[in-house]
Amino acid sequence: MSSLNRMNTRILPTSFNYYEPRTIDEALKLLSELSPEVRILAGGTDLIVKMKARQVEPKNIINIKRIEGLRYITEEKGKIKIGALATWRDLEKSWQISKKIPALFDAISVMGSVQVRSMATIAGNLCNASPAADSAPPLLVHGAIVKASSIRGTREIPLDKFFLSPGKTILMPDEIVVEIEIPVPPQRSSSAFLKLSRTAMDLAKASAAAYLEVEDGKVVDAKIALGAVAPRPVRSLSAEAELIGKPATEETFSLASRQVVKDISPIDDIRSTASYRKKVSPILVEDALKLAFSRIRGELG
Amino acid sequence: MLNIAERYSFIGKDIPRRDADSKVRGLLEFSTDISVPGMYYGRIVYSPHPFADIEEIDTREAESMGAVVITPKDVPSKPFNIRLVSVNEVTFKDWNILTFSPRYLGDPVAAVAAPSEELAQKAAESIKFKFRKVYDPILDAFESMGSQSAPIREKILKGEEEIPVRRNVGAELNYLEGDLEKGKREADVVIERAFKTNRRYHFQLEPKTSLCVPEHDGRFSIYTTTQTIHNTRILIGQVFGIPLSKISVKRIPIGGSFGSSIQTNLVTLISVALCMKAKKPVKISLTREEDMYDHADYEMHLKLRVGARRSGELTFGELVNIMDIGAHQVQAYPLLGTALGWFVSLYKWKNIKYEGKAVYTNKTPSCAFRGYGAPQISWAVESIMDELAEELGMDPLDLKLKNYVGLGDVFWGQGPTVRSVIRSDGVKELVEKGKQLIGWDRRKPPSMKQGRYRTGIGFGRSFHTSGAGGPISGEVIDYTGATLKLNEDGTLDYITALQDHGGGTLEAHAKIIAEELGVPPHLINIVPSDTSVTPYDVCTHASRGTYVGGEAAQIVKSKVFEAATRILPKAVNPEAFKLVYDETLEQAVVYVEGMKDMRITLSEIARTSWQRNWGTIAATVSYRATSAPPTFTVFFVEVEVDTYTGNVKPKRVVAGADLGTVINPKLAEGQLHGGFVMGWSMAYLEDTIYDRRTGELLNKGMVVDYKIPTSQDSPKLEDFKVIFANTYEPTGPYGAKGLGEAALNPVAGAVANAIYNAVGVRFYTLPITPERILEAISGGGKQ
Ligand SMILES: Cc1cc2nc3c(=O)[nH]c(=O)nc-3n(C[C@H](O)[C@H](O)[C@H](O)COP(=O)(O)OP(=O)(O)OC[C@H]3O[C@@H](n4cnc5c(N)ncnc54)[C@H](O)[C@@H]3O)c2cc1C
Repeated sequence: MSSLNRMNTRILPTSFNYYEPRTIDEALKLLSELSPEVRILAGGTDLIVKMKARQVEPKNIINIKRIEGLRYITEEKGKIKIGALATWRDLEKSWQISKKIPALFDAISVMGSVQVRSMATIAGNLCNASPAADSAPPLLVHGAIVKASSIRGTREIPLDKFFLSPGKTILMPDEIVVEIEIPVPPQRSSSAFLKLSRTAMDLAKASAAAYLEVEDGKVVDAKIALGAVAPRPVRSLSAEAELIGKPATEETFSLASRQVVKDISPIDDIRSTASYRKKVSPILVEDALKLAFSRIRGELG
Repeated sequence: MLNIAERYSFIGKDIPRRDADSKVRGLLEFSTDISVPGMYYGRIVYSPHPFADIEEIDTREAESMGAVVITPKDVPSKPFNIRLVSVNEVTFKDWNILTFSPRYLGDPVAAVAAPSEELAQKAAESIKFKFRKVYDPILDAFESMGSQSAPIREKILKGEEEIPVRRNVGAELNYLEGDLEKGKREADVVIERAFKTNRRYHFQLEPKTSLCVPEHDGRFSIYTTTQTIHNTRILIGQVFGIPLSKISVKRIPIGGSFGSSIQTNLVTLISVALCMKAKKPVKISLTREEDMYDHADYEMHLKLRVGARRSGELTFGELVNIMDIGAHQVQAYPLLGTALGWFVSLYKWKNIKYEGKAVYTNKTPSCAFRGYGAPQISWAVESIMDELAEELGMDPLDLKLKNYVGLGDVFWGQGPTVRSVIRSDGVKELVEKGKQLIGWDRRKPPSMKQGRYRTGIGFGRSFHTSGAGGPISGEVIDYTGATLKLNEDGTLDYITALQDHGGGTLEAHAKIIAEELGVPPHLINIVPSDTSVTPYDVCTHASRGTYVGGEAAQIVKSKVFEAATRILPKAVNPEAFKLVYDETLEQAVVYVEGMKDMRITLSEIARTSWQRNWGTIAATVSYRATSAPPTFTVFFVEVEVDTYTGNVKPKRVVAGADLGTVINPKLAEGQLHGGFVMGWSMAYLEDTIYDRRTGELLNKGMVVDYKIPTSQDSPKLEDFKVIFANTYEPTGPYGAKGLGEAALNPVAGAVANAIYNAVGVRFYTLPITPERILEAISGGGKQ
């Protein structure tokens, strides 16, 4: 049965209750009362599209954008902290991100358009749990932690454990992501993110992020993550194992990147094919490793 | 010889467009922006199955919500064609406003109107169907012609005559010229290839809209997305049996079209039907998703066989053109002829055979798309000509220059009944200049390229007609009209039904009138008009650089001179007068050469005619062009292919156009930039892909999965060079020809040839995606 009579991107004929809490406590209380028949609204660049397309029809909407004190990017005790309402554009303008989390900065520069980046939040990108979410691979390789609050308290979830399947996270229906925390990476490390897409404004066909820490010409730590090639953004532990302890050379990168096919399970969809995704994933990883390494060398002078 | 800008006061100069400011500031109103008091919103209901017969439509719930509902029972049932450009005898009619027999997913089966769009949407969703039969959708033209396939249509009308449809073939056209067998015998090299083009969505900025307002005196006013207000009015009149004098279709700015509104849009007819039943103004604005189900380009399966002597002289050309037209005919039959026209007018094949079939499938109906088949035909022909050149060991440029249809040759771009002789031809000049600029002589064969990133240079050429006029009245209606009046202060009102799609057509008219009468363009009012106050115009299509404004201006000018003889003492011969724009006075003066006192400003003549009761100086003309001269275009494109990912980037472009006198250089350059990006998109990105099981679009009409290039995907401005040929078209206004479509036609061919030059693989299916490229490179073979 065709969906043409129902889904579109202009008319929203359904009705819902709309809430605009001013404090996080108020929001958490509302959420616990209304869950599970409720959706959180941040930038709305995913949610409103899905509502118009009738993929979700929430009875209640809690707009969290009016909550004071959730829009920040700070650095504290070796951690970069990103508030749940920080937009992609906020991060784009932050020197901490461009200097210290280069893979995330790469992702920002290929995400949407200025208009979208000015509305959309990073937290929303993660909570939307698209396998192609551009912030996911960079945050995965940087070991980000998601802090989620409910009236029951606040818990810390390593991003590795956050995504379950397309559109699904480990969050309970009454939880709000309040902060994303990234450890400030040590010296002699860097990262990079690369994305293949049909045009400059598009979701990824495949993407990859690489994080490298090098000492005396040796890889002492490495993390690899990929997007749009599995039901969720994934780490490639196989590739990482082939990197750690090895000399930081192009040969190592090339051998390691071939391992990524073990950790991915791409599919055919309208954006690309499984076989293409399989072919380009190692290329993306290898290119990202080289780029990250060149950044380290650039920094070493 | 003076250059254009020196010779003329206004032509050839860049003058800001009058609507630029209001467009940028969002002040210009498109159909969808217009609201009237008491207006209802309409929504269209589609069949949930692409190929089915409906037994019953249950509208009770919608009506209980307070919506006005129409079903096929409420509308006239005689089939029609939504496009009226062909003469009636060759118009194939298979459309209804609403149908019990949906043949694609966007086939309207019912419609509702309600005081709010949300309520209308809810009412639309509540409508239920009982099906008599649901068929498996047929989504492939060849499958459709097979003996196993259910008939999509059994009978249609051709003119007023009912004709049967056999094997889902809606129209056919075959053609023979010369002696094909002789041509084959003479050929030293023969190449045969099968090409398949994509089915692109027009992606015009404005989704189609229509507002129908019932007036207090029984008339209907219609504000709608259209390239042709007159044909829209005529069709409404024919379908509903309303006298034309009771319908007025307004010319509303249109947010781009690319051919998608050459016909009268179904949404317009539905809004009229709803308005008649509701007795209220009704507006329907298609959502982007509905719009994507409403129209698409023609998908062509082209089998080409060509032969040449060792010398490079062509000896024959054979083309089989199987067109997948979707569920309805818009202009399938004329396009079969036009596609042939493009083919025979590209190169001198000498001996020609053509077989064309338009095949129904359960897809969105195809309609004209910028270039009207020429981008498809040119892609295939320019590809095979490059292959032929390689076989012959010739430079493709030499092979093409040796055989192209040019100056003095007969050409029939718009099909067999629209022929004329070519009187201006800048192809050689453009190729010479372009060759230098791109560095053609440094181009290496693919076998000499290595490494991950490989660049390639490709060349493509084509042309388009300027309009569909001709010396005889053929199967195509092509004339237009305008009224021009001199106001009492010497300014002008220009009243025409012609539509500007955004390319600046009317701006060009204003310039021509300005040149003719010495009135600066900003003092010429392009009057917002409608069908009641304008002479008939067929449609703004086929890149018609019409002369109609200039024609009216010449008549006005002779009347001005007559008036001058009444004002200036001793003047008796109007022919002795000249008119020139005086830059210091900033207006036109009428004078007799060498006589100081025989001089008067145009505004003084206008004022005097008014004060002395001589009446208004004005002219109304109806004009048919007697030829449709070709605008030639060439593209040199350099691409870079990443052989690890299959990604391709356009690096450098040289775009050359022979459009005769360039009336508006900046706008002409803009057309070539836009043409390139659209052609690039055709070559590399676009297709509407169907779910084989359900007949739905895989992207469900959502733009998130229908990609066209952004500015970041386009070459940098400094890497895009535009060159114009130094030609003059004797049959065109001030020597000018049209450009809109020619700017696109050669691009896909040039891009395909560039990709081949980079990686040594030919692609016969569009789009040439990274997936296909990578598959071909790793497979090492042809695709
Ligand atoms: C034109 C366009 C281009 C785009 N391009 C890209 C692209 O290139 N790359 C890309 O990755 N994405 C892209 N997107 C998708 C989207 O913009 C991003 O995913 C964005 O980051 C979502 O953030 P948001 O604030 O708008 O989320 P919303 O739409 O407000 O929310 C998204 C989901 O997260 C939930 N949510 C939001 N905040 C929280 C929170 N604090 N706690 C718990 N749940 C929460 C919501 O309930 C909802 O389910 C694009 C979207 C558009 C419209």
